[in-house]
Amino acid sequence: MMIRGKRVALPSAPVVHKRFEAYAVAAPDAVAVVCGGEHVTYGELDARANRFANLLVSRGHGRGALVGVCLSYSIDLLVTILGALKAGAAYVPLDPTYPPARLRLLLGQVPDLALIVASPATAELVGSATVEIVDLETLRNDLQGRPATAPDVTVTGDDLCYAIFTSGSTGVPKLTAVRHEGWFNLLNWLQDEFGLHRGSNNLVVSAFGFDLSQRSLMTPLFCGATQHLIASRNFDPAMAYRTLERHDIRTVHCASSTLYVLADWEKASGGSALTELDHLLFGGEPLHVERLRNLVGREAGGCVLLHQYGVAECTDVASSFDLAGYRPGDHEIAPVGRPVHNTDIHVLDERMRGVGAGEYGEIGISGAGVGAGYLNGTGPESARFTTVEVDGVPRRLYRTGDRGHVNEDGELVVAGRMDAQVKVRGMRIDPADVERALSRLAGVRQAAVVSRSTDSGDTELIAFVVPEGDDLAGDELGARLLETLPRNMVPAEFVSIPRIPLSPHGKSDRFALMDVLHDRRKGQGVRG
Amino acid sequence: MTGERDKVFVDEVRAIWCRELERSDITPEQDFFALGGHSVIMARIQRAYIDEMGYEIPIDEMYRNPTIASISAYLESLP
Repeated sequence: MMIRGKRVALPSAPVVHKRFEAYAVAAPDAVAVVCGGEHVTYGELDARANRFANLLVSRGHGRGALVGVCLSYSIDLLVTILGALKAGAAYVPLDPTYPPARLRLLLGQVPDLALIVASPATAELVGSATVEIVDLETLRNDLQGRPATAPDVTVTGDDLCYAIFTSGSTGVPKLTAVRHEGWFNLLNWLQDEFGLHRGSNNLVVSAFGFDLSQRSLMTPLFCGATQHLIASRNFDPAMAYRTLERHDIRTVHCASSTLYVLADWEKASGGSALTELDHLLFGGEPLHVERLRNLVGREAGGCVLLHQYGVAECTDVASSFDLAGYRPGDHEIAPVGRPVHNTDIHVLDERMRGVGAGEYGEIGISGAGVGAGYLNGTGPESARFTTVEVDGVPRRLYRTGDRGHVNEDGELVVAGRMDAQVKVRGMRIDPADVERALSRLAGVRQAAVVSRSTDSGDTELIAFVVPEGDDLAGDELGARLLETLPRNMVPAEFVSIPRIPLSPHGKSDRFALMDVLHDRRKGQGVRG
Repeated sequence: MTGERDKVFVDEVRAIWCRELERSDITPEQDFFALGGHSVIMARIQRAYIDEMGYEIPIDEMYRNPTIASISAYLESLP
């Protein structure tokens, strides 16, 4: 089974920042970015990015280099990203809200990082002896002396534009690389297919470490619109909603769980800024349509709701479904629709053959968005990049590990994972990654982590811990994990048990573990 | 007098936390995130501070003050 995406011709050099540069020439006085009380025009942003690009090139960090970016949302963040791209380099997003220990673990996975751009406070926390850490403020004098014109660097569609961390299957995060052609194709599809234009001002509400944030950051600059950033370190619903109300914002990209928060906020405050947007683009986890009641099923002409599916390995979005008029049947999963331009979606059996109509299988993606693979080593995950024949021609294909089928309307439906990975508030997590962090804590002999759906339909992690000696307090384990893991990876509940029950295959037995949890709940009726 | 006002904040905040975290036993010094708290619950608590106490607290302040004791002290410091 294959769903074929529309074929659309791309320019001979599909390079993302060239589109931005064209607006900087055509409309230099248009506002590119608003953040807090500050703003920058297309012309100024282009000049500042050119100066940084020239600095990178002069230091030998040009085409093919990797530039780490560990900044909060700010105008400097976009200067850094665009500067890196103009130098021919790719950038690596590093979320500055992650614990320093996690950031150091991630940095250990990046081969040949040229330098890291970070604020002075973050630089101290990350403290790398091997990689130079700079901030644009201290470079100010150096940058002023650089040319405001772009460096003479040739960039092609096959060059990398960003590389982003995603969960691996062995407990080690993988650094997956995206090519300019794939990113250009995605942004071009958004612009073409949904009519985004110079008035399609955007507000970023997702954390910088997510692949969707890279799209949310670049889409307005690709369309000549204004980008709005909130300088808050963490997603702030009150501030986000007020920004939607006070500025002429037309688009928001987010994880489904963030959209529920915004929709609840709109309901509680009696506002209408969210429903009056032109486009809401969301996905990344199973959708609970009933939590979007005030948005879904409205009259035609309202906000376009795009339920999207994709993986970081294939440039973020692979397919999209317009929820206009969608009325879910009982227990029905909302489809994720049809492919992005120049992209094909396959449903495959274990021998890589297409399954029959309506049958379930593993979802594979081929086409423009397929990325350049993992930059940190050749673990078992690398075998997920393979080839498939489309129209008699071999094409690269990525096996996503997601399970799904194509429904009678020809739309893709995603129904979970082939493996143990889970999505918690939009973040793809391998329980083995959490188990590894837990078993490194003093007093923990062994740990098993499983996921569970809550009554409200969210996914949460439960940790089962075999202590070395005395029972361990759950909230203390949580506090210690917060020093090494992002918050979404810290289990909601910790259960002490004398040993981990094993399945006949020698793996931890999820069902036996959930029985333990159920019995404890009956006995105690409390969490933690 | 300050002490009594502070105690009022602690009790109101604790009531909101217990409801949103679905726990009955939170002490003023326990860490929100170690109690299983996350960004979505944080957002609900932010809304509750507005609706029930009349204060809009920036999320960053809530992250900086992850215990009932510290966020109550922060609320108390507001004009």
